[in-house]
Order: sequence, then structure tokens, then C-alpha cells
Amino acid sequence: MTMEAKTHSIDISALQRQNESLRMEDETIALTVRDLQLYYGDKRALHGINMDIPKNRVTAFIGPSGCGKSTLLRCFNRMNDLVDSCSIEGQMTLYGSNIYERGVDVADLRRRVGMVFQKPNPFPKSIYENVAYGLRIQGINKKRVIDETVEWALKSAALWDEVKDRLHESALGMSGGQQQRLVIARTIAVKPEVLLLDEPASALDPISTLKIEELINELKKDFTIVIVTHNMQQAARVSDYTAFMYMGDLIEFGVTDNLFTNPDKKQTEDYITGRYG
Amino acid sequence: MNISVKEWFQSGSPWVWMNAGAVAISIIMVVGLLGLIAVRGLSHFWPADIIQGSYTQNGQSRTIIGEVVETNEVLTQQLIEAGIDLPKDNEFSTRHLLKVGNRDVYGSDFTWVLEDFLSDQARPEMLFAAERREWGNLYGYLRTIKESGTEVARYEGNDKSTEYLALWDNLEARIQRALDIHEDILQIEKHEIGSINYELERLRLKERSLQLENVTDAAPFAEIEQRRKELDKEYEGLQQRLLDLYAEINRDSMTAEVANGKIVEVQLAKIVRAFRPNDMGIGQKGLHYAAKLWEFVSDDPREANTEGGIFPAIFGTVMMVLLMSLLVTPFGVVAAVYLREYAKQGFVTRLIRIAVNNLAGVPSIVYGVFGLGFFVYFLGGNIDDLFFAAAKPAPTFGTPGLMWASLTLALLTVPVVIVATEEGLSRIPRAVREGSLALGATKFETLMKVVLPMASPAMMTGVILAIARAAGEVAPLMLVGVVKLAPSLPLDGNYPFIHLDQKFMHLGFHIYDVGFQSPNVEAARPLVYATALLLVAVIALLNMSAIAIRNHLREKYKALEM
Repeated sequence: MTMEAKTHSIDISALQRQNESLRMEDETIALTVRDLQLYYGDKRALHGINMDIPKNRVTAFIGPSGCGKSTLLRCFNRMNDLVDSCSIEGQMTLYGSNIYERGVDVADLRRRVGMVFQKPNPFPKSIYENVAYGLRIQGINKKRVIDETVEWALKSAALWDEVKDRLHESALGMSGGQQQRLVIARTIAVKPEVLLLDEPASALDPISTLKIEELINELKKDFTIVIVTHNMQQAARVSDYTAFMYMGDLIEFGVTDNLFTNPDKKQTEDYITGRYG
Repeated sequence: MNISVKEWFQSGSPWVWMNAGAVAISIIMVVGLLGLIAVRGLSHFWPADIIQGSYTQNGQSRTIIGEVVETNEVLTQQLIEAGIDLPKDNEFSTRHLLKVGNRDVYGSDFTWVLEDFLSDQARPEMLFAAERREWGNLYGYLRTIKESGTEVARYEGNDKSTEYLALWDNLEARIQRALDIHEDILQIEKHEIGSINYELERLRLKERSLQLENVTDAAPFAEIEQRRKELDKEYEGLQQRLLDLYAEINRDSMTAEVANGKIVEVQLAKIVRAFRPNDMGIGQKGLHYAAKLWEFVSDDPREANTEGGIFPAIFGTVMMVLLMSLLVTPFGVVAAVYLREYAKQGFVTRLIRIAVNNLAGVPSIVYGVFGLGFFVYFLGGNIDDLFFAAAKPAPTFGTPGLMWASLTLALLTVPVVIVATEEGLSRIPRAVREGSLALGATKFETLMKVVLPMASPAMMTGVILAIARAAGEVAPLMLVGVVKLAPSLPLDGNYPFIHLDQKFMHLGFHIYDVGFQSPNVEAARPLVYATALLLVAVIALLNMSAIAIRNHLREKYKALEM
């Protein structure tokens, strides 16, 4: 089999996006990354990353496995703190305030920067309690407030119609796609500013994937979204900006349409046309 | 179908057969064990027929009456060598162990008789057995009934005549009356006078502690004196009622003719029940059996634990195990959470984990010695000095008791709970923890709201193992709180209701005591089996409740498939 047989560049026009003319210069910046270095023990996993993530846009991280895109994503809500051997140099800010400053309330940061993981991870509680979890953690106990928020979150996650009659049944009885949307609902219920999605659809079937993608399009009105994905079509479909990473380096970062149709770097072109990766 | 040995081995069937065989052997052993103790233990309560016969040995003949308890074959040669004059025709001779009762007359309850010497065997319907509160069973024929020393009814024959039956009915009615009075006496002695004594003791302690504090004010002393007078008055009233009841209960007596023709007089107050097994149908025997069985599980023991029930032992065992579970669960869980979730995983943690695992292998008697030295003498002694100085020199907690026994067993079983909980914690998917943390929960909130509930089935597994180990433990308990006979239950109506300082009875120790320390071995043996069966039943019941709780939790927090 020749390489050409496998290659497929992304036909952006076929995706029928509303062709907004996006320019980084016009955006409000939510997150900045400055010269970020990350080590697992002695091993350097991220080599001086610099990027600005715009507000109320979808930014996709693409790249081959092990390129550090998930690691970078987990830096935004300090999930890497849980890894013992992990250490970080450089700077990362959320609306101008340093995330890694001493004395930052990590729990509060994680509330502001929500995260959805690769595999759906609902708690072994009822659907309702899953969504209410983050609110209860914040000490919100008024039933009316929780009821309203749960309904809003489930509606926002396009799940309300499917589960409104069984809110108090276990979340573990749902399908994988429903569980992932439940996890998204749970995350947006605490009204974060940024939503980190770590390959949210990789464990799901095509129909569920489509629903999640539609959901991402809806959610970007209210949230800044950063998504890690293996699937380049998905990145092209859902994102406004795309970052291509390779071996711990940020190779190229720009408006999605440009990156996929006219990449600056040879490596990017090779990757998106399937020549390696 | 023809297959070679090699093919047969390759097919894996020998392996399957071997595994199935191992399972089958285990099942047979368990069923056999339970079957043996069940048959031996439960048959004891069946009212066996009483046989009467004449026993001729060395030309002398005498009448014997008794229940056949056991029958076996012995070598005739052996008997001849023992000096018994027997014909050598048979290689084996049959002999019976006869429960002849009437320990007050014959000196012992049991005797071996040889089938060869026994003739004219009969099962007379009017032969009766009476269970007494002392001196064991009485077997014989009813002769007279006396009221306040004067005879009110008499019958001389042994046949089933209407007069005899009338006499029997008369006896049964009077026994019932005596039993009712006995109940009243027990109520007054145990509960009413018991609580007065308890309160008097508390008053004494209060007075003593006032003296120790050098209180000079006379008012509190006067108050105590006042209350004491009231109690004394109450006590006198009860004492008078008791005297009346005793006079009532001792009114009736009966006489019976026993096997050697002697007339024995017994006060009806001393009789628990009288029955004529040879005249009972299978239904009546069944009722009698049920009553005896109920007495066994619900009554206090009599006659050095060889008769009556074992309720205090059941109660003590269950109470001790529950208390142990209450102590061991939080302790083990907290330790496991620290070891698994908070402690830095390194050399020291590993060392601690190894030490914990090895603790489970320390012989239990060592825990008993530790419990006695540390809990009873050191902790208990200090608690007495600090809080119960008024009671000194009598110790309150500085003596073996329920609390120390439970604590000792909790210590013995804590490794099991720690290991099981750690195992459970390590199985909680990382994704779930991260999910909670990503929502802004702190580590503590994540632990309390997500991780610990999900690990609760594993904790219950630990508790189940702990119960299984603790409930069967006897050796350490002998040092830290179990006694042969406890005067009262550790749970009663007197404040503070649970008496953690009290000594208690335990089924395991009861088996040991009845089996090895009993003056009446033959009478006690069936009770050893019955008690063992009950111990197994109690442990099984405790375990099954714990397993039910675990299954419920498992269903609720069923782990994610990831």
C-alpha cells in the first residue's frame, strides 16, 4: 500500500463551517502559556510552550500520541499536581493571574477551569446527584437553586429530554455517550470559565460523537473551550484555533482553517495529510 | 470414543476433575462436621424412653431404671479380664450407658450395663422423669403429694390407672403453680432488688467520692442518707414479699419410689418439669423437644452449666463481637486511609504495612496477655484512679471485662480491616477521583463523598473477616473478661444500660468449660456439641448480616467498568 492511498487532506469547505474570518489579534485572551517546561522526574515532557488561548473560542490540540497535548491540557487546572514526580517551570495565567503562583486555591482554580476526561467517569450516584455534586462541594444546599442548576446544566448538555424522568436513577445505567454528556453537564453546572476536554469522544460511537461535537459548538457561546483530540476531522469540525504539537514542542498554532488548508510548517503538513503520526 | 492418555491430559479434563474433587472434599468435610455436631447436639433434647429392667450380676439381682444414652460393643475377652463373669460364646458383648439419674441417691448419674445381664426390659408408661434444679434428673414412680407436710394424695401401684393419672394431673398443676411463683421470685430478686442494690451501690460511691473531695457541707450527705432510707424501706417491702413467696413455693412436695425401692421426697419448688416419656406420643415428644430447645437458647444455665440454657453466653458473644466491630471499623479504616491516601509511599510506609500484615499472624493468646497487661492493668488501673476512685479498692475497669475483651479482639482483627480497606481504596478508579477533583473538590471532600463510599464494600469485607476471626476466638478472652458464670447480662435496665466493665459469658469459652471443666462429664458432653452448633450458627448469622450489608453497598456503589 502506498502512502498516497492513505493520505487525505482535510477539505475544510466540505465541512460547511460558517466561514468566520478569525484573527488572533481581535480575540480576548483567556489563558496564556509562557515558556512552559514540564518534567516527569528527569524527563522533559514539554519544551517551552508559548501560546494564548482566546476566550469563547474552541481551541484544539492535535498531535501524535505522547506529544504532550494532554499533559499541557492538564496544566491548565493543575491536574498534574497529582503526579508525584511532576514539576513545572514557566508561567501560565488565567485572565492575567498566575495559575502556579504560591497560595493559589487549587480547588477554586479547578472550579473555574473545568475538565472532562477521555472516559466517562460519572460518580456511583444518581444522575441528579452527579450534576449537583460540584454545587454541594461549594456549600450550596438550597434545593431550589440546585434543582434549577441541574436542569439548566442537563439542558445545556442536551441530555435533559433523555433523563428528565429518571433523574434519581443511578448514572451508571446510562449509555457511554449519555454518561459523557452527563459529565459535561456536571462540569458546566459549577459555571466554570474554561472547559478542558481531554479526547471527550474517543471512547464513544459515531452518533454519540456527533452529539458531543454539536454540544461543543453550543457551549462555546458561554465557555472558553480547549479540546484535545486524536481525530483531525473532529479538530477541523469543532475548533476555531488549532495547535499542533509534536514531541513536547508546539509546532504550529493558528486559525483552524489556515492550519489545515495552508500549514506553515512541513511537520504540520505531513501530519495532517497522514504521512506520519 | 478412543482417545489416548496424552490427549486426555491435553484436553484439560483431569485438571477439571481434580478441582472438582477438591471442592467436593471440602464440602463433604464442612457438611460432615456440621452434621456430626448437629446430630450429637440436637438429639440430646429428645425425650428418650425410660427403660426398666432387672439386672443380674454375680447372682444378685436389682431393678434398674434409666435412659439409654449410648450403646457400643466391647470385646468379651476384655470384660472377662476385668473380672466380669461372662460366657465366652460371643466375641463381642453389647453394653449400654444408662442415665439412671437420682444423683442424690446413687451418687452418680450414669452407669454402664451389659446387655447380657439385663432381663425383663420394659417401658412402663407411668415411669416418670423430673428435671430438678439440683441433683439432676429423678426417675421413678410417683407415690404421694404433700401440702405443707401433710399428705393430700397417694397411690401405690405402677399401672396406668385413673387414680394414678389423677395423681399425675394433680402433680402437674402444682408444678405449674410452683413455676409461676418461681418466675415472680426471679423477677423480684433479679430485677427489683437488683436495681435497688445497684442504686444503693451508686449512693455509696457518691458518698465516698464526696468524702474523698473533703466536702464539709452536710446537705448532700443528708440527701444521700434520705434516699438510702427510702431504698431500704423499699427493700424491706420486697423482702417481705419474697418471704411470702418462698413460703408459698415451698408449700408442696412429692415423694417418688426410685429403682432401688427407696422413697425420695422432693419439693416441687425444685422441679423444672416432670414428664412420662414412655406415655408420650410423637407429637408430645416433639413439643417437649421444642420446649427444651427453646430453654437451651433462652434460659440461664443451671447445675454448673451442665443443664438449662446458654442465653447469657449467646448474648455475651454477640455483644462482644458487635462492640468489637464498632471499635475496629473506624480505627482500621482511618489507618488504611492514612496509609493509602496520605502517607508518602516509601520505605517507612512499606515497613508499616509489613508490620501490620505480620500483626495478623501473632498468636491470639499473645494479644490476650497484652490486653491483660496494657488494657486491664495499665489503662483500666489508671481509669479507676482517675474516675472511679470512690469504688476503690474494688476495681471498676481495672479488672477484665467486656470493654477490654472487645478492645483486645479489635486489636487482633485490625490488620484484616486495614488490609481489606487498603485493597478497596486502591481499586477506586483514578478517573473517578480526578472527576471529583476537577470539579473543585478538595482531596478530603473527594475522599469523604466519593472514594470512601465506593470503598465501603471492601471495608465491610474486612469487617466480615474480622467478625469471623473474633467470634471464634477463645484463648485471649479468658485473660481479659470471659467467665464461667456471669451473674448478670452486660446490658440491662440500670443506668447506663451497657455495662462495659462487667464480665461476660462466651459460647467458645462455654464449650471449653462444659467440655473440660465440668464435674459431670457424661451429662455435659451433648451440651458441648449443642453449644458448638450454636456458636457456628451465631457466627454464621453475624457474618450473613455483614454480608447482606456489603451486598447492599456493592449494589449501591457498584464499581465502574473501566
